[in-house]
Amino acid sequence: MNILEADRLSHRFPDGSMGIHEIGLTLRKGSFTVLAGPNGSGKTTFLRHLNGLLMPTSGEVRIKGVPVREDPRRARRLVGMVFQDADSQIVGETVYDDAAFGPENLKLDRREIHRRVLAALDAVGMSGLAGQRPHLLSGGEKRRLAIAGILAMGSEVVILDEPFSNLDYPGVRQVLGAILDLHSRGRTILLSTHDLEKTIAHADRLLLMEKGRIVADGRPGAVLGQTERYGVRRPCAVRWGRAVESWLN
Amino acid sequence: MAELTAFGYHPGDSVLHRLDPRFKLVCLIATSLTVLDSGMAALGLWSAACAILLVKTGVSMPRLLRELRYFGVLILFVFVARAFSAGGDPLVRFWGIGPSRQGMMEGALVGWRLGLVVLLGLSLMATTRSWQVKAAVESLLRPVPFIPHKRAATMIGLLFRFIPQILSAARETADAQKARGIGNRRNPVFRLVKLAVPLLRKTFLDADRLAAAMEARCYTEDRSTPPLSAAAGDWSFLAAVCALSAVAWVLSRL
Amino acid sequence: MTVYAALMAALIAAGAYIAVPVGPVPIVLQNMFVLLAGLLLGWRWGPAAVAVYLLAGVCGLPVFAGGTGGIGRLAGPTGGYLLGYLPAAAAVGWISQRAENRTFLDVAGLIVGTAIVYLCGVPWLKMVTGMSLSKSLAVGMVPFLLGDGLKIVAAAAIAKAIRPVIRKDSGAAATHEYSRS
Ligand SMILES: Nc1ncnc2c1ncn2[C@@H]1O[C@H](COP(=O)(O)OP(=O)(O)OP(=O)(O)O)[C@@H](O)[C@H]1O
Ligand SMILES: [Mg+2]
Repeated sequence: MNILEADRLSHRFPDGSMGIHEIGLTLRKGSFTVLAGPNGSGKTTFLRHLNGLLMPTSGEVRIKGVPVREDPRRARRLVGMVFQDADSQIVGETVYDDAAFGPENLKLDRREIHRRVLAALDAVGMSGLAGQRPHLLSGGEKRRLAIAGILAMGSEVVILDEPFSNLDYPGVRQVLGAILDLHSRGRTILLSTHDLEKTIAHADRLLLMEKGRIVADGRPGAVLGQTERYGVRRPCAVRWGRAVESWLN
Repeated sequence: MAELTAFGYHPGDSVLHRLDPRFKLVCLIATSLTVLDSGMAALGLWSAACAILLVKTGVSMPRLLRELRYFGVLILFVFVARAFSAGGDPLVRFWGIGPSRQGMMEGALVGWRLGLVVLLGLSLMATTRSWQVKAAVESLLRPVPFIPHKRAATMIGLLFRFIPQILSAARETADAQKARGIGNRRNPVFRLVKLAVPLLRKTFLDADRLAAAMEARCYTEDRSTPPLSAAAGDWSFLAAVCALSAVAWVLSRL
Repeated sequence: MTVYAALMAALIAAGAYIAVPVGPVPIVLQNMFVLLAGLLLGWRWGPAAVAVYLLAGVCGLPVFAGGTGGIGRLAGPTGGYLLGYLPAAAAVGWISQRAENRTFLDVAGLIVGTAIVYLCGVPWLKMVTGMSLSKSLAVGMVPFLLGDGLKIVAAAAIAKAIRPVIRKDSGAAATHEYSRS
């Protein structure tokens, strides 16, 4: 079943330049897709169309069959987004408040909000930090908090824009663990990166973007061979002719 | 970043944290009114009360004082200006002018008042989450006609979260420029522009990202935040503040 | 726009604590941010930002110049300046929206805005303190004129640099349109 469909999506910025060009993409429910591409290839621009933060100049995005343009709020509830910058996506004064932000906007009742927040914080292993100030958290914890915020909203598709930027090794492992946990609970994952090493072992599909277009799409094994033509470095193991290992091992 | 300033929210469970935000706002309005025309004795009373409450909030005092050192310079400036200009007999003379006893008293009084108002404001900001401020402003503005109270409340809530961000960004920018020797440039316009442009650019971009993050989580002005409820404790706090104001008023007029 | 206006209000408020040392006297950025609110946000949202700032001040937050706050301040000798910020931001915004990035018109707008602040501030000062007009001018206007001149030049330059960053299609601008729909 396709949970998300994008049809010939183009976006022209007000200054006249093209951000993305005729992108088509369908995501199967429960899939794990990695979107790779060099800086400025339009990954962020594309992802922002999927929950209606940007509206396309032409083309259409549908979530479970309903166009985003018709009901952006529904799209944002179903498609959760973790942003590139860890700090400016913090919206609450405490870890608990931040995770509760989404459910509060959905106007759930307090008991349900409380239940969801606790469950979400628990799922990313941050129950002990509920009363903390989020700005004091480590980079990995901030990212996990953002994931908890989406979980509490009940999103079915989780989009992560460069979730590993600025993270140290333990940070990467924590965040990767949280993402895989989401995937194992049936969430659909779409993750953008320019560094395939950390995620490709877990993905079942790899997309390559360049200059606003999708230039390759397929199983990681099939696409990995052409990544360097488009400015994305192949994982070391692939260069040596071996399978990529998970960063969690 | 934001954790570097004293102006942000500090989680905790003190009297001030638990107080209904509407009562906090009303008390702050009342006290800042009375403080600005209090005499020495009344100021002493207010300061003691304020100090007790602040200590209970768990905000670290040495850090608070360090944060306010720039402001301290300003107060010193006011003090000196008053001390020299208030008339009366100078205690010592340099070049024909000098601080008078009267002037020093007056300067101390004004400086004390300013400092206290800032501390009162800070204790509100340190113990109140921005959604609480929003809810309080909304419910207090509701009876006032001609003001879109929901929109105004949203904006005040946002203002609360932006102020610490801006202050820390300003400090970062200033430090970065000091490191690159801006002190050697004399042209004041140049220095103004060179401080303000990066600061504004950074804060506007941050605001953009924050808005996107809020929107991605279905933000509306009409959210289900916990209801505000006034308990007996809130009323007794208000009563205590009123009593203190009355005492202060009498003290300043003796 | 709601977010930008709130941000500008926060900048005006924080401006009471940000100073650039020029020689022995620090220049406080507050009134420059008021002018910038008009320049960057236009004649509707500029004054809205100022209004939010004043409201925060009335609530007792220490956001007025010199770190004071409270209604008392608005009624006090310098209250006129604070209230004058409202029409000043509106005037600057109105003129600059018609200036379409022509710098000399921006500067003209800024001068008008500054004049409006004094037009509200000085008579108020005179009324509250009972000083003569010339004394009021000497205390409440003349010492600041040089600083204001610098700020006008700086504000025009800053607006030129910042305007491209404020995009009408960006998330912050869109927030309230969506929340309404
Ligand atoms: N509002 C805008 N107006 C004009 N051009 C823009 C705008 N936003 C982005 N761009 C341009 O569009 C291109 C794609 O940007 P985008 O942020 O989507 O790239 P990205 O793949 O996410 O890069 P990165 O890996 O650095 O995050 C860039 O060249 C950028 O300069
Ligand atoms: Mg990007």
